[in-house]
Amino acid sequence: MAAKQELVVCKRTEIAPGERKLVTVDGKQIGVFNVGGQFFALLNYCPHYGGALCRGPITGTTLPTNEFKFVYGHEGSVLRCAWHGWEFDIPSGELLINRKIKAKRYAVTVSAAGDVVVHI
Amino acid sequence: MIDCDVHNDWATAEVLLPYIDRNFRDYFERGELPGPKGAFPHAHRPWLHPEDFRRQDIKPRNQAEHYSLMKESLLDRYSHDVAILTGEEALEASTLANPYYATALVRAYNDWLADYWLPLDKRFKGSIIVAAQDPHGAAAEIRRMGRNPDMVQVLMSSGSYRPFGDKFYHPIWEAAAEMDLPIAVHLGGQGGINYNPIGCGPTTFYWETHALLLQPGMTHVASAIANGVFEKWPNMSLIIIECGVAWLPALLWRMDANFKSLRKETPWLKRLPSEYARDHIRMSTQPLENPDNKDHLWAVLEAIDGKHTLLFASDYPHWDFDDPTKIPLPPAWRENVFELNARKVYSRLPQTQKAKVAELAAA
Repeated sequence: MAAKQELVVCKRTEIAPGERKLVTVDGKQIGVFNVGGQFFALLNYCPHYGGALCRGPITGTTLPTNEFKFVYGHEGSVLRCAWHGWEFDIPSGELLINRKIKAKRYAVTVSAAGDVVVHI
Repeated sequence: MIDCDVHNDWATAEVLLPYIDRNFRDYFERGELPGPKGAFPHAHRPWLHPEDFRRQDIKPRNQAEHYSLMKESLLDRYSHDVAILTGEEALEASTLANPYYATALVRAYNDWLADYWLPLDKRFKGSIIVAAQDPHGAAAEIRRMGRNPDMVQVLMSSGSYRPFGDKFYHPIWEAAAEMDLPIAVHLGGQGGINYNPIGCGPTTFYWETHALLLQPGMTHVASAIANGVFEKWPNMSLIIIECGVAWLPALLWRMDANFKSLRKETPWLKRLPSEYARDHIRMSTQPLENPDNKDHLWAVLEAIDGKHTLLFASDYPHWDFDDPTKIPLPPAWRENVFELNARKVYSRLPQTQKAKVAELAAA
């Protein structure tokens, strides 16, 4: 198995909490997200219809409730696909309504020098 | 590939100012609008999309980007041969009570379409939008704009004042038949003077409602067939855009059964409703139903001879956009649905050699 490629995306300060950066490597678009100081990377390809997942809003959403109530949660860790609005949990890449459906994820590390590195 | 539902938008409705009839220009410049300056005069639907009805990755910042983003994200990306432009808010003129103002607005839009959009790209073809609440004004507009060979259909909103087979609308059918243009009905016009598009009264949520917006499509299909539109104007087709597809077989089964018992109500009909549908009703695919088991969908579509009655549509750039490389269609139908069927129903599109051969083979 080929060794994983390490892609230096940027300095950690270049992606503020709640922000993202899109990078292209070998024809693949990858979205790198800062969720509360932690970095995550997802392939810009929605498992639904191949839409521009990583270009959708970063937001929260209503939590499941048992009554006719609205409880907002997951603020800043939900990514809505830019095409049809499917909601994904950024840290796990899982679709909120069906956790078996996952966006492709990549490991991300931050080097001692402060570089955000995606492992492809 | 021929895409039958591509939305060409404006950055501001004020692009219509140079085109609107002087009698109505003041309405636009100084009159009341349903939004800030630059909003298009119309009555809005009571269901608001909670995220915006456009795709989140298509955000034109000016008029030029409406085209450049469309070119990049749709026309070039999927190698379109033809994109049939269906406008955006202009369709909503059908919600206005004043039929004279409504017709003035769609006339201005049609002129802007012909002046601005159609010359941008040789792949573009236009739709003549009409305000159906003004049947005589609409007929005059069809005869006026129908002289432009790049206009390939008449377009009305599915939201309506009455079902479209009704005699009230026969001036529209007459004019379209005279110009040899099919009539398309596109989802929209859900408000104002138009009939509530949902049986039993207004539903609550946007997604719930969107799933039910096939109801007006059903009604227009039944009405056009029962009222003998296709006997009176045998060259006419009715194209249902963005109302879904999988409901049509069930409706036609019911219509055939009822007609066999009660034909006497409509003695002008010579054939079964499903036979008129096969020859005169065409359905755009988007948003194509997508069950887990594709065989379930394909069996239903087979019942309406989907291979010959479906027309591909993407609905770019809306939130329920269908990607032509991903929608579930039987592989053997793709050439028909993506191109040949459209070349047949849109008689003004150039006929390719391939389309002619396919037509001969079918006959």
